[in-house]
Amino acid sequence: MRRFRTLLLLAACAAPALHAAAFDDAIKAVAAHQDAAALPLFEAALNAEPDSLPASNEYRKAVIRTQEYDRAVGFYEKLTAAHPDAAFAWLNFGYAYVDKIPAAGSITQMILANKALTNFSKSIERRKSWIALYTRGNSYLYWPKVFGRAPLGVADLEQAVAIARAEPRKIKVYVRSWVALGDGYWKTGQSEKAKATWGEGQQLFPGDPQLQARLARDGEELEKYLYDQLDPNKRVDTNLAPLYEE
Amino acid sequence: MAARPRAFPPGIEIPGYPRSSPPGLPRSVLSPGKGRSSVARDFNPGRRVRRPYISCVLLLFAACSLHAQAPKPSPPIRFEEISERAGARLTHHTRVFQGKKADVLGMFTSGGAAVAVGDFDGDGDDDLFVTDSGAGRPCHLLRNEFRPTGKLTFTDVAKEAGVAGGNDPKSIVADALWLDADNDGRRDLLVARFGTPILYRNLGNGKFQDVSKAAGLTKFANSIAAIAFDYDNDGRLDLLLGHYFPPIDLIALPTPRVLPNDLDNAANGGGVSLWRNVTAPGSSAVRFVEVTEKAGLSHHTGWTLDLGHGDLNNDGWQDLYLADDYGTDRLFFNNRDGTFRDATREALGGLDTKKGMNAEIADYDRDGWLDVYVTNITDEYMKECNMLWHNNGDGTFTDLSKETGTCNTLWGWGAKFGDFDGDGWEDLFVVDGLRSAGPENYIPVLLEMIITPDIDFTDINNWPAIGTMSWSGHQRKKLFRNLGTQAFREMAADAGVDNDLDGRGIGVADLDDDGRLDLYQTNANQASLLYRNVSAPAGHWIELRLTGTKSNRDAVGARATVRLGGAVLIRELNGGNGYAGQSTARLHFGLGTATRIDALEIRWPSGRIEKVTVPVDRITTIREGSGVVK
Repeated sequence: MRRFRTLLLLAACAAPALHAAAFDDAIKAVAAHQDAAALPLFEAALNAEPDSLPASNEYRKAVIRTQEYDRAVGFYEKLTAAHPDAAFAWLNFGYAYVDKIPAAGSITQMILANKALTNFSKSIERRKSWIALYTRGNSYLYWPKVFGRAPLGVADLEQAVAIARAEPRKIKVYVRSWVALGDGYWKTGQSEKAKATWGEGQQLFPGDPQLQARLARDGEELEKYLYDQLDPNKRVDTNLAPLYEE
Repeated sequence: MAARPRAFPPGIEIPGYPRSSPPGLPRSVLSPGKGRSSVARDFNPGRRVRRPYISCVLLLFAACSLHAQAPKPSPPIRFEEISERAGARLTHHTRVFQGKKADVLGMFTSGGAAVAVGDFDGDGDDDLFVTDSGAGRPCHLLRNEFRPTGKLTFTDVAKEAGVAGGNDPKSIVADALWLDADNDGRRDLLVARFGTPILYRNLGNGKFQDVSKAAGLTKFANSIAAIAFDYDNDGRLDLLLGHYFPPIDLIALPTPRVLPNDLDNAANGGGVSLWRNVTAPGSSAVRFVEVTEKAGLSHHTGWTLDLGHGDLNNDGWQDLYLADDYGTDRLFFNNRDGTFRDATREALGGLDTKKGMNAEIADYDRDGWLDVYVTNITDEYMKECNMLWHNNGDGTFTDLSKETGTCNTLWGWGAKFGDFDGDGWEDLFVVDGLRSAGPENYIPVLLEMIITPDIDFTDINNWPAIGTMSWSGHQRKKLFRNLGTQAFREMAADAGVDNDLDGRGIGVADLDDDGRLDLYQTNANQASLLYRNVSAPAGHWIELRLTGTKSNRDAVGARATVRLGGAVLIRELNGGNGYAGQSTARLHFGLGTATRIDALEIRWPSGRIEKVTVPVDRITTIREGSGVVK
């Protein structure tokens, strides 16, 4: 028993080292344009540190380039089963489905989007992070009005904005929660609140192009622009680098 | 795959129809004050009736405006709906199934409202065969009385002719097609069914005889589409049937697992079957043999909804486009040896996942290559976009539906090209709408099923009942006017054809011989519509009635090329392209202001090429090898 505990301790200490080595090798492979070779290295890095945002982020980018969407889904399925408390593993499990959406047919898109939502919820259950709330809230907005999911998105995004407001440091990427919350208000018929939210975002993050584009439009032009932004056939930006690089 | 830049062919300008008018403004400055006709105005389901006092205010406002501004110009394309007064309004009935999931099965078989245009009695005007699908319900043969009476009216002679049947307890009528199967100069009638097809031989005395068994057409299939074309150029019309479900008896279901195994990539549908016409020359004993496998078409197991044929690579042989529901359409090039090769991946740039509903073929941009238009589903919850496959002329195609403005026709069904204003450019009419019923929406209910983990889509018991709910219903039809600049302008409301019925098939024909193409629209479980083209002024025109001698008598596959002021216009005679609708066998060319054409050439399926001279604003009959005969 004592020996087993020692092994566990050793393994815990070794994990970050293992992660770092595998992650470095994976990044080198990507730099050498060997995405296929990088995938198992990223997976090894994530097995050692399942909550690593950089490893998941670079892994999914390589998956998009190689179009190995099903591999990523299968990998995160196993990863979250082995590490059920890893909130960011669940988050990236959701992203793995989102990444596949543009490559899928119109009905499969709905199935994938729904599976992504389930995993985002599991991430939030484990840790109420800004990124998970923003992501789930934003995902709800992609659903057509007929499904009535936009109010759920607004609720998540209000929480995300509250977290961002409470953050003493002004983190640039947080501007996205103001953008999305405004979109949510607009999609739920609260256009004045939408404008006010985008305006508040503009004050906090002057010059943000997403907010500028919205505030510069009105009426049908704004409607067309926002529908275009929420087109499920366009690839959603699931790049998390701005979050950890800042 | 990127669109290649192409030199744009010169156009024919019609005075008053500028091609570069500002968006949103009607382009013609023609006769003022022409509003929607009373018939069209009256027959516009779904429009709200305004209260009289509002009308008074509007009237007052309109009266004042008359003094203040120029009268609103009438649109370049106008139709009036005349089905009732022409005796052509027929209500279609979808089949009612029995059992627990009857309404779900009913939804999956909600086609069947078809029209086939053809001159069955040889009197020179086009008649209509209109299908029904209800148990025991008769189909209709509408004899056009225009030639004898000068009035566009129809008489239903289906019962006397012996072609009213088909909806027996074991079969459901789904489509129909005119073809001269025995080359005797009389057009026979094929009725495609969920069941075995019926081939009626035209006896020439207003009567038909069921010769299906003798013709070898006894194979059970759930056929929803049919085209007749001469795939081997042997001078006889062959048959291609498109099957939706695999060959299972839907009326007495042997298993509940009958639905698509994947809603984007289904591979458990009925595919197609190809039937070679082996009727001996000069014999009236029509005979077909199945050659699906031999021709290389048997590996296709999609949920075929429509079939289109045309010479897509300009080699004189007919190629195929198959529109499939729940996934991959297919493009086959003719190998010229009785077989086809599946060129989908290289020609279309991959495999699609859309819900293909219609395959219509025409040269919309006058570059001398036939293009393909496919309707899909573009709705609030499914953003597929249609496909306008622009023929690049090198065996590949580029989808230009977004660029041309023809992407969104909601839940699309039949679509037909036709030069409705006679300006020399092929316009496009598209019908849409799945199920218009109560105010409740089926989609959220359906979603719950779709997102259930590991759900078996094939099992009909897993599909929620639809009851009185609507599903993509009450949708307005689309009429795209070809602007001649790789762009179309949608103008269905201005043209008076923006009805919101559950459209299915379209038959295009000049039913009153005035050189303007009319439209017949069938609707599922609803009354059909007859739109008479009243566009005024329309351009000059020619119409060609072709008779093959060495080629098949119907001249299906013949191509007419008109040279006109530097422009080259082509029309190819097809044998039933477009979902649930066969159009006229006359080739129609709008000529704009031109009162003569520079040259007309016919390329017959036999390979013979004939140059002929024809008068403008006339219907001309041309016989293979003899030139103009009438």
